[in-house]
Amino acid sequence: MLSDQTMSVVFDGTPLKAMQSSHSVTQQPALSTQELSQEIKSFISGVDAVQGRKLSVREHARCAVRLLRSVPACRGAVLEHLRGVYDEHVSAFLHNLETEGSASSGVNSNLEDIIQEVHGVLSEFIRLNPRAWAPLVSAWAVDLLGQLSTKHAGRRVAPHSSSLNELLQLWMSCAATRSLMEAYSQCLAAMLAWCPDACVDALLDTSVQHSPHFDWVVAHIGSAFPGTIISRVLACGLKDFCSHGAKELVIGVDKGSRVPKIGSVVGILGHLASHHSDSIRKELLRMFQESLSPSSPLSPTSSSTSWESSPQLRRAAVPFLLQLAAMSPNLFGAVSAELVELLRPPVLIQLQALLQGLPREELDNMLGLAVHLISQSPSGGARVLRFLADTATPASVIISGPTPSPHEGVREGCDRLLQMLLLHLHKLVFNRSDAAEVGPHHSALSQPQRVIPFLDELQSHVGQLCAETLRLERKRHLWLHQLLCLLSVYGGPSVATEALCQLLTQARNPEELALAWQLHTTLSSCMAGLVPSAVTRCVAQIHTHTLGPRQLRQLLLNLAAAIQSQDEERRGAAAAGAQSSMAVQMGSAVSGHLHDFGPLLLHGDPAVSQAAVYLLSCSPLPRTSSPAHLLLLSRAAVTHFFLALRRRGEAGKVGRDVGQAGEAVNCSVQLLSRFAAYSPLTLKAVLQQLVEGALHKGNADLFGGQIADMSGAPLASPSVSPDLGASLLDINCRFGTTVNFSGSVWSVFHAGVIGKGLKVRTAPHLLDPSGVIQNIQTLMSVVVQCCSSSGLNGSINGSLATSDPDEPPPINAEAAKVIAVTLVENVCPDVANGELSWPPEEHARTTVERDIHIRRCFEAHPVLFSLLQVVAAGRPALCYCSAVLRGLLATLLSHWESSRGVSSTDSLWHLQASCLLVSCMGEGQLLPPVLANVHEAFPHLTPFEVRLLLLAVWEYVRGNGPMPQKFVFSSEKGQFCRDFSRDGDVARYVAPIHSVLHKNIDRLGHLCWRFQL
Amino acid sequence: MGDIRQSLLPRDVLSAAKELLYHLDIYICNLVQSGRQPPQVDSKTLELVEEFILHAPKDRNTPTRRMSALQELQLLEIMCSCFQEQSRDTVRQLMFSALFNLQGNQADESRMALLSKLVSMAIAVGRVPILECAATWLQRTHRVYCVRLAQVLVDDYCSMVPGSVPTLQNIHSASPRFCCQFITAVTTLYDLTSEELSPPLELLQMIVSWIQDDPRLVLITFLNTPLSGNQPISSLDVTPLGGLMRWCIKAPLAYRSDKKQALSSGGCESEQEVGPLFSALHLSVLQVLMLLPTILNEKGLYGRLALLQMEALAALVSDLSRLLDQADKHTHLSSADVHTLSQLALDRLAQALQVSMASGALLCSREDLRAICSRLPHNNLLQLVLSGPVMYYNNIHTPPLAFSPHAAHSPITSHPTHPTHPTHPTHPTHPMTPTHPTLPTHPAHTPHAPLATHPSAHPQYPAQPFMTGMPFPYRPSH
Repeated sequence: MLSDQTMSVVFDGTPLKAMQSSHSVTQQPALSTQELSQEIKSFISGVDAVQGRKLSVREHARCAVRLLRSVPACRGAVLEHLRGVYDEHVSAFLHNLETEGSASSGVNSNLEDIIQEVHGVLSEFIRLNPRAWAPLVSAWAVDLLGQLSTKHAGRRVAPHSSSLNELLQLWMSCAATRSLMEAYSQCLAAMLAWCPDACVDALLDTSVQHSPHFDWVVAHIGSAFPGTIISRVLACGLKDFCSHGAKELVIGVDKGSRVPKIGSVVGILGHLASHHSDSIRKELLRMFQESLSPSSPLSPTSSSTSWESSPQLRRAAVPFLLQLAAMSPNLFGAVSAELVELLRPPVLIQLQALLQGLPREELDNMLGLAVHLISQSPSGGARVLRFLADTATPASVIISGPTPSPHEGVREGCDRLLQMLLLHLHKLVFNRSDAAEVGPHHSALSQPQRVIPFLDELQSHVGQLCAETLRLERKRHLWLHQLLCLLSVYGGPSVATEALCQLLTQARNPEELALAWQLHTTLSSCMAGLVPSAVTRCVAQIHTHTLGPRQLRQLLLNLAAAIQSQDEERRGAAAAGAQSSMAVQMGSAVSGHLHDFGPLLLHGDPAVSQAAVYLLSCSPLPRTSSPAHLLLLSRAAVTHFFLALRRRGEAGKVGRDVGQAGEAVNCSVQLLSRFAAYSPLTLKAVLQQLVEGALHKGNADLFGGQIADMSGAPLASPSVSPDLGASLLDINCRFGTTVNFSGSVWSVFHAGVIGKGLKVRTAPHLLDPSGVIQNIQTLMSVVVQCCSSSGLNGSINGSLATSDPDEPPPINAEAAKVIAVTLVENVCPDVANGELSWPPEEHARTTVERDIHIRRCFEAHPVLFSLLQVVAAGRPALCYCSAVLRGLLATLLSHWESSRGVSSTDSLWHLQASCLLVSCMGEGQLLPPVLANVHEAFPHLTPFEVRLLLLAVWEYVRGNGPMPQKFVFSSEKGQFCRDFSRDGDVARYVAPIHSVLHKNIDRLGHLCWRFQL
Repeated sequence: MGDIRQSLLPRDVLSAAKELLYHLDIYICNLVQSGRQPPQVDSKTLELVEEFILHAPKDRNTPTRRMSALQELQLLEIMCSCFQEQSRDTVRQLMFSALFNLQGNQADESRMALLSKLVSMAIAVGRVPILECAATWLQRTHRVYCVRLAQVLVDDYCSMVPGSVPTLQNIHSASPRFCCQFITAVTTLYDLTSEELSPPLELLQMIVSWIQDDPRLVLITFLNTPLSGNQPISSLDVTPLGGLMRWCIKAPLAYRSDKKQALSSGGCESEQEVGPLFSALHLSVLQVLMLLPTILNEKGLYGRLALLQMEALAALVSDLSRLLDQADKHTHLSSADVHTLSQLALDRLAQALQVSMASGALLCSREDLRAICSRLPHNNLLQLVLSGPVMYYNNIHTPPLAFSPHAAHSPITSHPTHPTHPTHPTHPTHPMTPTHPTLPTHPAHTPHAPLATHPSAHPQYPAQPFMTGMPFPYRPSH
């Protein structure tokens, strides 16, 4: 065919000729009107008008192209016809793919060259006259693309619309769609210069129409023109948004569908977000910033497009962005993080100026939207919150003068926003829990618990929130506190526990601690067991060592304060009931964890241990507790007591913190007495450990004791005390890591390092006597308090104590027995001859070594006498000390016997020991008063006479054994007493006394009355 | 005719349209044969046309039916052959009016669209009858719609389809009447006020070549139309002369500057072509103006029908002065160039004024001209024209006589010795001497000098002494 030949010539030369200017003359001989008329007829009927045969698809298409080139009026019809051609090609292409055969490849390629031709013509037209053709072709191409992708979406080879990349690959490998795409890109490139909005409008419209299937087109175009498309899409959306009016928009995505463009804007940007999230973010932020920057015609921004120049659009930009963010979490997430950074004071002021012009209703809408967004934002919530709180917190009163600064409006806005946010969250949180409560069985599945991402995110920031709340800045802490409440309700018990625990840990004074009460008050209504779990959490914190000493101390003090508020409540009736209930709960919770707090008594930091004492001393004791825990606690308490004593001594020496150290000791005393009063077991344990502790080598110096050093090494002068640097502990620590048998391990012995001579004796660390006395006093008071408390026979002693408050309660016999037994165990290592009854004095020779040991003990530990006195007071406990008494008396006897001094006062210690021993025995009613009084005469006698009197004592005790069963409980005195009348005649033991009296009547006359029978 | 609606309703869009056309043809033939004067298509038929051919929404209940582009093309093809095959002019004309005369309703939009396509297609396939009908349509329709039709044609042939200009060029030979109306519409459309409103180069070339080939082309409508007085309001001018004059006068300033921007990246060869084109066009316009007196005299309209309107002239002058101001203010040309160009524009204005006044196309006093042109900068030629021949001052201001066939020659017969008569039979084709060579310049002469009394006392115009400064009593041509 002639025309075919011309066409092929034309198309072969197309690229070259198309490059020529608009004056390129027509490349074909102009058809006559007759021919054109024939062509039109052929085109319409699909039959060759001359030869009368049917046209093939190919010929038909060529005919159409000829018409397109020569008859302008046929333009629409031709393009419509070409749709069919393109469609056919796509069908063939897909069919070919499906059959995977080459059967129809011939047809395929045939159509492909036609499509090439059409594409060539169209692109030539666009090149020559973009203004006329680009809108036309772009609309056509986009529409056709939409139609094709929708129509063939269901094909077997077509991937699912969600797999955008595969879809893109498929369509771009198809000549028809690729050609359309290229044509559209060409149009777009041409149109961007003068009417970018129109082409993007068309794209958006089509995108809405063919929603999921058309996405690949948008994605492709978007990635081809990312910058322009994104900004255009935004500008388009903004214009559309503006023309629809923001009034129609209410919060909620469902309403957004009324504005179709914004929906597709969101969709498109969502697609582009995967690859161009950066530019999208930049574009969105730029939009925001430019909408704020004052419209100055003097500064023409280079990138300014049409919307910036219209004040109306600029005003709509912020609501538009909000709406956009509300509809797409992706976009919102992309922007939110940087947006907060952008909101610096100048920007805020601009924003305020911009928003002032908006009607109130619209503002309210925006506010609601913003609140909704914040509550839905999955990340950056903490930053947003901080920003809001920072901005909304009023400046101090002094700075903000009578006239509100320009920031005032901003602040108020933020304030309002924050309050709305809290209200909104409140609604969300409580509605949510309501829903969950109403229908747990039937609606739980259909309506899952609504997630509030904002709160979700903040859950990990509870600690910071608590810290900020506790700063007690005005207003701010109210908001944050409210938020904490919401967060706790939202997050359930775990978050609530965490919050309460944090508050308890971080509070530093009663005002701050009150926040914890408030939180608990709010939450207690909907959450049970909050306090116990919070305490458990705190204990867990202690166990994991996450707290520093200061924090630990603070936590313990706070807990103690919490418990003590109970007592205050009891005293002052005006305090709130809720607080007391919390205090009670707190008390019981802490009491359940006493054994966890016990180890803290021995914490290296005195402040911590003191706080622990404080807590333990004010916390109620559990009703039941395992013995192991109790023993541990009492051991720790006693150890702490001695530590406190030592600290007091050191503080006294240095001269500071005396009061505090004293207070610590008092607390410790109080704690011990409470423990002792708790149960017989604890009493026993406490007493036992107190005694053992007092006699312990390390503590002996506290009570004026001297450690009897068995080694004979000379005392090194303080100036030359070379540190050998050998420590068995160090070597043992290293032992596992370094294998070093170079002899050093084996060269360390208890007596010194081999080759270095004997270990140097450390100079005894002597306290000043007043300190010693004070310590002994303290110890005695503890022991007495423990012994006299209602531990063993609580009912009896308690009743007595209440009946006669002036008189100190009597020493409990059982307690005294505990002391006695412990004493004996510690002082007298040898259990042989430990029976209570005394042998004849001569038999004492069999136990000389033991007796000497006992005497040395008494020499080393003056406190033993005091303890003996306590024991004596708790009759008949002294009986159990029989062995000790006997040993001491035996050594005293031998001393006085061998003493060649003129007066007993020459050996002072022995005199004192004798006096104390006898008076103790008298107090313990091991001796009748007549014999017990003999010690009054000792200082006036010669050693031999003292021996005589002591012998008399021995004899009496031998004759009348110190048996507990000889004591009878007298209810009027409240203690055991011994009736000496039942024993044998005292007179025969009194004879030597009288002889001595007689001999020294000149000096002892005034004492005679003491020895009357 | 109205009763066929029911039978049309179930048909598909195209068959219904086809059938209606068929029935319309028969109906109009009957109408003409019945001899009723004037033949009038009834409103029922018009409604049918709107419903089934133009697919205007009839009411809200019936869904609007639309033709696809292919169907529309078929319909256009059928229409083409329909008009082609109809031998009787009257029937054809009536049918065209029934289809395309604007009714002032919402169907007008689709009517215009269809008409534009039909005319465009008729041009392509050379359907003379349709073009003739369209020429008539262009005469009778409001100029806004005429301009739209012209716009579509220019877009189609001069910008959309490259290489199709020759097709449009053919309308000159196919239908001179249509061609003339087309030129009028185009000159109305492109008034050179902005870049969009500058004629494309192809169009300009085409028009110049048309007029150069046959200057009388521009007068064809004027010649063929009986001035029956039923000229519709706001229709196109009878001749494109006013529009062409505007092109020529404004072009040195407007066309050039606009094209300069548009083609700053492209070649400048077109620019060099433009100047001579407008020159040639100007010459042709002047030549046509020179033809006028004869024709006017033949028609007996000399001095009574203003082919050029004063309002248009005033608008042109104010446009010109604005352009001159702009050219002075911001221009990328050197001041010498600007001066040359503005003098060229003013020269052209002066020449056009002189010739048109002399040829009776423009009916106004020099006083009025002076008033209108007062703001223009100095130009020797213009000054000459404005001051005019002193001794014959009065004659020129002779108010036109009443339109009456008996008084048709009165202006000439009453002043047989008029020396400046431009269409003096002795030198009718002297192109570049629009003013009398012996015209004495007498600038000192003041119009306040006492003049002879008004020579003619027309019944409509009571005899009164001519008063200077009094505006020329404009009188519409009918």
